[in-house]
Amino acid sequence: MRNICLGIFILSACAFAAGNDVPTKDWTGFYTLSRDKELGPLGLKNVNMDLDKTIIARLQPWAKAKMEATSGDADDTGAVCLPDGIFRNPPFAGRFLWLPTKDHITMVFHETNTAGVRRIYLNRPHPRNLLPTWNGDAVGKWDGDTLVVDTIGFNDKSWLMSAMEPHTEETHMIERMRTVKDGAYFEIVTVVEDRHALTSAYTYTRYYKKQKDEITENICGDEIQEWKDWHNKALKPQLERAKQVK
Amino acid sequence: MRDCFRFTAFLLFAAAQFAAAQSKPTPPDITGVYEIVSDKTVLPGGLKNSGSPSAVPLSAAAKDQMKSVDVKTDPALHCQPVGPFRMTAREENKIEVIPATNGTIVMLFEDLSRGVMRTIYMARGHRTDLGPLWLGDSVGKWEGDTLVVDTNSFNDQTWLNEEGAQHGDAFHLIERIRPILGGKYLEYKVTAEDPKALVKPYTYTRYYERSKTEIGQDNCVEDGE
Repeated sequence: MRNICLGIFILSACAFAAGNDVPTKDWTGFYTLSRDKELGPLGLKNVNMDLDKTIIARLQPWAKAKMEATSGDADDTGAVCLPDGIFRNPPFAGRFLWLPTKDHITMVFHETNTAGVRRIYLNRPHPRNLLPTWNGDAVGKWDGDTLVVDTIGFNDKSWLMSAMEPHTEETHMIERMRTVKDGAYFEIVTVVEDRHALTSAYTYTRYYKKQKDEITENICGDEIQEWKDWHNKALKPQLERAKQVK
Repeated sequence: MRDCFRFTAFLLFAAAQFAAAQSKPTPPDITGVYEIVSDKTVLPGGLKNSGSPSAVPLSAAAKDQMKSVDVKTDPALHCQPVGPFRMTAREENKIEVIPATNGTIVMLFEDLSRGVMRTIYMARGHRTDLGPLWLGDSVGKWEGDTLVVDTNSFNDQTWLNEEGAQHGDAFHLIERIRPILGGKYLEYKVTAEDPKALVKPYTYTRYYERSKTEIGQDNCVEDGE
């Protein structure tokens, strides 16, 4: 009798599971960049934290000259709450919402005004004749439990990192994304290459912890007028000079 | 034998719970990209956009206040959030609706600077520990096939309309969103309440058509400089 009951139970459980179409890779959630102090005991480590140093060492001469002629403040669109691309945010600030749907995944960065939103399309290749955009065109495919994301089609208005390292529209980014530690952490291994701006590709790894807290509203704008006033008075001459150099 | 009875009781209980869950109406799947329908369009059944943020019935005090507002400081002209009440009525608006598995429904706007992202919390009531917010605190529930969203905790930075009408911190929105015509369209009705700024609640309606296009990267360019 015991065996019969056990059989009924197992069959019921199997029937329930078969009808329960839960995706196996649901990474939905809010993630924030983890620091090495927290990661160390887990056997995890962010790789290549000083990205400015890494990138500057790889800049081609023209790119280095442009970087040196660029005013870090005056030419930083992110400082006036306008888009500044997606190269700087994930390895430095790194707070994002991960929202999968059937045919694409949406990454909403906490700094929504500047880093904005990325959509990673799962069922299509890159379109031909892409118009350059701040965040490029991202397509992804699964390689086992890893999502491999290929992004091209960037404009050349953003900077690779805080020292204002330039890049071109040829920039190509490949990311390998997966969750580790039973989904508690999100790992992204990123490779950035640009044959016109860099002498070789650079790579870095970051870990993001899944948060139980809600994503908070983060509107870049409260301080915008104050910044503009300061910008116009103090930095306009520098901006003009930087434009002439370009 | 006693174990078997317990097992059977457990299975019956589980089956009853499962059946109860199954008998609950399943909310419609509103996942997707939608584009606003123009005011000239009439949908089957005579459905069409009605009302406008410009037609809100302002109180005398709010009318007086509006006269002192410089419309050049309109947040919409400076790539700042305009708030859900104005945003959802904007021409050429394009939105993406993503019901997430973490108990939220996320609404993203192609015009990201002005619309930003709305998060509608489906599994909690309003929080009392939130400060005034540009987009407010939104909680939602399904009433049949209608998503009812209640939003409060607004700051006073957004305007009611482009004429410069202001609202206060008692501003409150109730939105009713439902798929119609086989899911090809979303009907969006919003009612605004503000006992100080409005003499009575005001409702407008917009229709959004489901789109097969992707959301683009629409970067705001300031109009007011």
